[in-house]
This record gives sequence, C-alpha cells and structure tokens, in this order.
Amino acid sequence: MVATLPRPPAVPELLPDLEAVDVVGLFRTRAQGESVVVHGPVGRHGVPRAVAGIAAGHGCRAYMAWEDLPVPGVTSALTGAGVERVEHRVPNEMRIPHQTEYQGLDLGVTGADAGLAESGSLVLLHGEGRPRMASLIPEVHIAILDANLIERTLVHWAHRHPGLVFETANMVVVTGPSRTADIEQQVRLGVHGPRHLHVVLFR
Amino acid sequence: MTSRPVTFLSRAEAILGTREAQSVDQGMRHLTEMRDVAVAEFPIMDALRDRARVIRLHALANLDRLLSHFADQVIEQGGEIHFAADAEEANEVVARILEATGSRLVVKSKSMVTEEIELNAHLERRGIEVVETDLGEFIVQLAGDTPSHIVTPIVHLDRHDIGALFAEKLGVVETVDPTELNQIARDHLRQIFLRADAGISGVNIAVAESGSVITVTNEGNGRLVTTAPRVHIALLGMERIVSRWEDASVILEVLARSATGQRLSTYTNVVTGPRRDADEDGPEQLHVVVIDNGRSQILGSDTAEILACIRCGACLNVCPVFRTVGGHAYGTVYSGPVGSVVTPGLLGMEPWWELPYASTLCGACEEICPIRIQIPSMLLKLRARAAAEGRLPGWLERGIRRYTTTVYTPTKWERAKRLAHWITGPISRDGWIRRLPGRGSGWTAYRDFPRPARESFNTWWRFNRGS
Amino acid sequence: MEGPTVQLVVTCLVDALRPNVGRATVTVLERAGCRVEFLAGHTCCGQPAFNVGMLTEARRMAGHTLDLLDVTQGAIVLPSGSCADMMARHYRELFAGTDREQQAERIASRVRELSQFLVDDLGTDLRASCDGCLIAYHHSCHGLRGLGLRHQPEELLSEVAMAELEGSDECCGFGGMFAVEMPAVSAAIMNEKLDRIEASGADTLVGGDISCLLHLEGGLRRRNSKITVQHLAEALAGNEQ
Repeated sequence: MVATLPRPPAVPELLPDLEAVDVVGLFRTRAQGESVVVHGPVGRHGVPRAVAGIAAGHGCRAYMAWEDLPVPGVTSALTGAGVERVEHRVPNEMRIPHQTEYQGLDLGVTGADAGLAESGSLVLLHGEGRPRMASLIPEVHIAILDANLIERTLVHWAHRHPGLVFETANMVVVTGPSRTADIEQQVRLGVHGPRHLHVVLFR
Repeated sequence: MTSRPVTFLSRAEAILGTREAQSVDQGMRHLTEMRDVAVAEFPIMDALRDRARVIRLHALANLDRLLSHFADQVIEQGGEIHFAADAEEANEVVARILEATGSRLVVKSKSMVTEEIELNAHLERRGIEVVETDLGEFIVQLAGDTPSHIVTPIVHLDRHDIGALFAEKLGVVETVDPTELNQIARDHLRQIFLRADAGISGVNIAVAESGSVITVTNEGNGRLVTTAPRVHIALLGMERIVSRWEDASVILEVLARSATGQRLSTYTNVVTGPRRDADEDGPEQLHVVVIDNGRSQILGSDTAEILACIRCGACLNVCPVFRTVGGHAYGTVYSGPVGSVVTPGLLGMEPWWELPYASTLCGACEEICPIRIQIPSMLLKLRARAAAEGRLPGWLERGIRRYTTTVYTPTKWERAKRLAHWITGPISRDGWIRRLPGRGSGWTAYRDFPRPARESFNTWWRFNRGS
Repeated sequence: MEGPTVQLVVTCLVDALRPNVGRATVTVLERAGCRVEFLAGHTCCGQPAFNVGMLTEARRMAGHTLDLLDVTQGAIVLPSGSCADMMARHYRELFAGTDREQQAERIASRVRELSQFLVDDLGTDLRASCDGCLIAYHHSCHGLRGLGLRHQPEELLSEVAMAELEGSDECCGFGGMFAVEMPAVSAAIMNEKLDRIEASGADTLVGGDISCLLHLEGGLRRRNSKITVQHLAEALAGNEQ
C-alpha cells in the first residue's frame, strides 16, 4: 500500500510575479546568449525549408528525426536536400553494433514540448517515436518549437505541469549546445553532445 | 623518529605559493563573480532560495517516508532499488549487478558519492574497466590524480599539464589549445560511450513522487551514460531527495546559478525508470542504489542540516581558506566549508576533527549558500565536540584555561597585563614585536605583534574616570 | 541635557593592547550625548574559548560577563563587531536550556556594536574627519554578516575620501584562534588582503574590529608599508582624546 507522500507546506506567494515580458523575444535573446541559433518565428509552412536550409548550411549527409515532428513536410524537405534518414530504433539485442553505426550521423531533428524563456531552454519529452539520440549524438541538432509553448521559467513551467514527470522515461531540458569549462574555466562547445543547436520557431 | 601526522596545515603549506594555489584562487573568484551576476539578474532568486531551504529541510524531516515512496515508485516504473548501509555494501551491489549483466566496460559520469565509497577501485579489482567521462574527471583519472574541487575538479591544472598528459597517455600529438584538447577527449570517449555495457551515474536530486533521478551536466556525458548502455546504475546519498517534481524544479533553478553562474546546466536529464516498451532507445535496466554510509547518523546529530546541501560548490568558491589552499589540502572527497562539516560525520572525528578548525568563521559560505545552510554554526558545534573529546592540542587547552582563570580574576588580569608590557620591552620597537618565542613565532613569522600597552584601558579608567 | 546611559564593554584586546581605542570610544559616545559607564572587573566575553570549542571555559567567562552587566542599565556598546556578535547572538546558544537562558536573552537584547549604536539608535550626525586622507575601509566579517553592519560605518565615514577597496568585505584571515592554529594559511589570506589595500591607493586603513586591524597592521609593518591604521572610533574621535 503506497503511503501518502508528505509535501512541503504550500505558500501562496511561491512564485512571485516577474515583470511581464515578450517571452518569445526573451527566449531568443537568452538562447542566443547560450550559442543557440534561433530562426523565425516562421509560419508552419516555412519550417521544412528552414530545416533543410540549416542542414545544407552544415553540409549534413545523414540525419535522425522524431516521428511526430510538430509540422509536416520536414523529412521530405531533408530528402530533397540530399540528407539521408537513418534508423533510430535501438534494438536491445545488437545494441552496440547498432550504435557504433552512428559514426556518420551528423544531424538530429526533433520537436520540443516547451521553451523556457528565462534560460533559453528547450524541454524534450522522449518516448515512442522520439529517440533520445537525435539530440545527443549528432554534431547538429535542430529543434522545431511552437512559439506558443514558450513559458517564462523552469519553476513556472514545472508548477503548471506537475504530472509530466510520469509521462516519460526521459525528459531533458536542453540549454544550448554541449560545453565544458573544465580546462582553465574557458567555455568550449561540442564536448559529448551536439556542437550546434538550432531552434526553428513557428506559429 | 616518529613522523608528523599529515594534517590539513601540512598539506596546505605544501600548496601555498604554488601555481596550483594561484589557479584555484583565480578559478574560484571567477565562479563567484559569475554566480553574483546570475543572482543579481534573476529577481526571484532570493524567494527561490528561501523555498529551496523549506523543501530540503522538509525532505530531511520526512526522509524515511520520502525514501519509502521513492523506492515503490522506482519499482513501479520498471527499475530496481537497492539500499546500501555502507560503502562496502554499495560497492558489492554495483559489482554484482555488473557481473550479472556481463558488463566489462563501464562509462561513468561524475558522482561525488561514488568517490566517497571508492567505487572505481572496487570495480577495477573485479576486473571491470571503468572510464570517467566528465572531462575533468577523465583527466583526473588519466593522471592518477584526485579532484581538487567538487564541481570543477581540475581547476588546479592548466592547459600545459593537460596537453602533456594527453600526449603521454592517449598517444596524440601534444597540443595546448583548449579547443583541440576538448576535441581529443570527445573523439576518444565517443567510441567508449557507444560500446560500453553499463553506465554509472550520480544523482543531483531524486524525486520521491515518481521515482525519478535527475542528473545535470554541461557536456552531455550525463545523457550518454544514462542512454547508450543497456544497463544504467544510479547512485545517490540517501539525503539527495525532494518530495515532488515542482520541488525539484526549485532546486534546479538555484543549483546552476550558484555553482557556475549558468541559469541552467546544458542538460538537465530526468530519468524515470528504464526504457519503456515503445521507446526508441534508452537502457533496458535501471538500478537505483541509495546509500547511507553515515548519513543517518548525521541526521540524528546536531549537524543534520548539512544534509540539505545540494552540492553546488558555491561555499567552496567563496571561502577565503579554500581559495587560498584548494581542495587537496582537505585530504578527502568533500572539501571546503561543506566538506568540513560533513566529513567528520561520514568518516569519523579521527582524524577529521581538525577540518572544522580550518576556517576563519567569516560566514561567506552561509551567505552564498542557496539553501541558506548555517555552516559556521555547525563548525562551532563540531569544534565543541572535538574539545569535549579531548582532541585539542595540549598547549591550546592549557592556554585557554590559563587565560580563563586570569581574565576571570581582575587582579590577576591586571598583573598579567603589566607583566606582559614589561617583559616585551626588550623585544619591542615603536610598540611592535618582530619576533615572539615559542608558540608566538607562528604569528611573527608573517607579521609583527603589538606590544601590550603600558597602561591598560581598565587602569586609565580607574585613574581618570572612576571610583 | 543628558543623553542615554550606556555600558561600555571595551573587549580584552582593546583593554590590553589598544586602550587608545577604548578612550576614543568614550570620547565619541560622550560627544554623541551619552553618559558612559564602565565596569571595573569586566574583561572578556568568552569568545576565544567559544571559538575553539571549549564551552565550559566560554560559559565561565560569559557568565561572569552576564552577572556584571545584569546589574546595569542601558545599551551595552562595544567597539567590536565580533564581540558584539558573540554577545548578541552566541550567548543565546551558549546558555539555551540552562538557568542563565533568560539572563542571556536580557543581556543579548541590549548589545550594540558602536557604529550600529551611533547610527541606528542615536541617529548621530557625528562624522569621521581626516584631512587629506584617502581611507580604505575593511568590513570585519562578524559585524558584516553576523550583525548586518554595512551602511552604519559607511555613514560615519561619509565625509572622508574613501578609496575603492576591492574585496573590502572579504575576510582578512585572522579568524581568532585560526591565526594561531594555522598561521601560514592565515598569513596567505592576509597578504592577499594587504595587496588589495595597497592597490587601492589608500593611505589609511580603517575598520571596526581591532582583532582584524592588529593582524593587518602587523602585516603592513612587515612589508614596510606607510599605510596607517585606525579604528573607526579613532577616526570619529579625531585627535582629541
């Protein structure tokens, strides 16, 4: 029998109001400050072209993508740009040989379940049709984000969506490309995760 | 001849004035500046710090119920849970999981608790290869060194040290360009990530309501370690837990800002069970190991509050003693102000009783702590414990006792002051003493000491003002 | 017209090593309109023993202090943030759950550090003066973080030229018994502080705690510095003492 879980006392003023801002504008500024390249907001129909353009700009040859991208037409645009899609489902058997085939993978395309304006972050809920590796292995990660899903801060978003933590085995908040400052406290990008992060905003 | 025991002071003296000490000082000042900027920019930071304190103290006050619920949830989500009373048990649990799953190559992301229990050495003795993937920890492992800071483990090394190390151990052409050094590490470790049988991670904060374990990294190794191999083992100290996901979000908002001045770490990785049936990737197995190793004892003591720590490292960054001597002087895994409180609790008063004395009690740690932990007050409590256990050096105890009796009796105090003035005449010039004998020489090795006044304030008042 | 009566606790360091700071404190308090009383027989608040963890000895000295002060009236004023902090905050802990609990509370609530008393309690318009000086101010830790003192010394020094001192609120490295137990580390912290003081261009160092000041002044002398050192009370009292 599951015991009732004690919770810290609720307080009315837990999240004091922040001065109202244009969250899309703040998201763009903060994300760019974290070395994210922010595109748009474009109309839904402009997304596939934007994605293909970014892929071409980086000279990408092979990509991995989420099945349920928030707008249609992205995968055909990438095929049209000569970028080949790779299989993303990792079998439990033959896991290692399968994963070591990632060598040629240079692009990952995902959606995003939310944007966080204060930190310029993306929230990714992984699961069926949504490989974690797409935003982890390739040098380039393109995230397609509905601008209406941008909230102010992580705490605001978490308090508004308390049950989300149960919905996925892996939720990741991404704030910029991978980096380290371990060597002489100087920030360098592209350590174990992507070196380039692009966000294509749409409305 | 008996050798002098290695103490904080002797370790500190070996580091003072070296290049390592300078690197540490610069690194810590930089991190503190970044933290101050991030905090000043975020209008709700103080409110969130207050809330974070409430959340963590509540968790400690309800720890058994939170852990019980957490354990049920881990299982509910398809994982396995193991409770380890001490380091030995924890190491054994991990070794057995790895052996049972045929895991020979393990990738690891940074975890203080695994360093505390010395997990790597235990696994290596069982013929399991463990590769640290956090760049700083990877370098430390390669060099056979130990981390000098809980968040920035190689702040004591510079690019020349690392360039030479990579050339020697990885067989690459020597370079001192940090971009190239990073690329070398990335390429070398990428292969290992994708071939590893198991991933071992720490946990920054666990969530009781869902059985989730959260790790934050900037590099992405925390994600790779918990995604690529078929087995994921997550280890945490039993106190690193909050009730709900909303509570975890508050901790996350104050953690990175306090640690490095980042608003959030690059990757906040929330793991809730192993891969689900329809998931495209992720580990097949999740094992969560919850470790006591002395924490329940601390919980029942007068320093229980130290368990609220979220390991941001801000207290290290701002501590005048830490900045001057670095982490190695402490001689153990947890250094700086938090380390000085938690180490005697986890590893015992012998010989760690002296760490609480390696502090000026300036209070900068308490001031910067995102959980507002009252570190100086706990340092004083540990000092009282040390004194009560008779651990203070004889000269100090005798000196204080003598002082107490002298000062307690006005006539004795007056006589002592007059004597002190008279006796220091020959060794003073312009009211200052350049060299004191005996214990006093520690002072005068570095600065002059004031000669006691000819006429004390008490005497002046008696003759000029008072009845 | 008579102002409030205050009990002056000078601290053991001032009594034995820097009585001029005590005299300056009397001058300043009287100039601010107070009637100053000083207990013969009062010596030490007990901080040295408390600092190293010898609580029995600390309680003995503190108890003696409490008894002497309990038969007096008025604010208890100290020219020291660290001793004021000891009495205002740590006495409560030291005697919690003992038969001196109430007494400690009574005394603690009367304790004031000098600048705190002058600015917050009296609202004095006394200001330090120092012709041609450029002053660097060192914020002693216990006063700053224990008692929250910051604007008080700044107000009292608002009419003198102040140097920009980087790290003015960073520890000087004295730390009480720390200076004696870990001399090399204490000195390393001190030297970093002194480098900053010298870099500020100040010709005078002022602070609110003689413990920090004697440590720093000893270091300045060792490096043959021309920088003079004054306690805040001396800067306020000027040359008349």
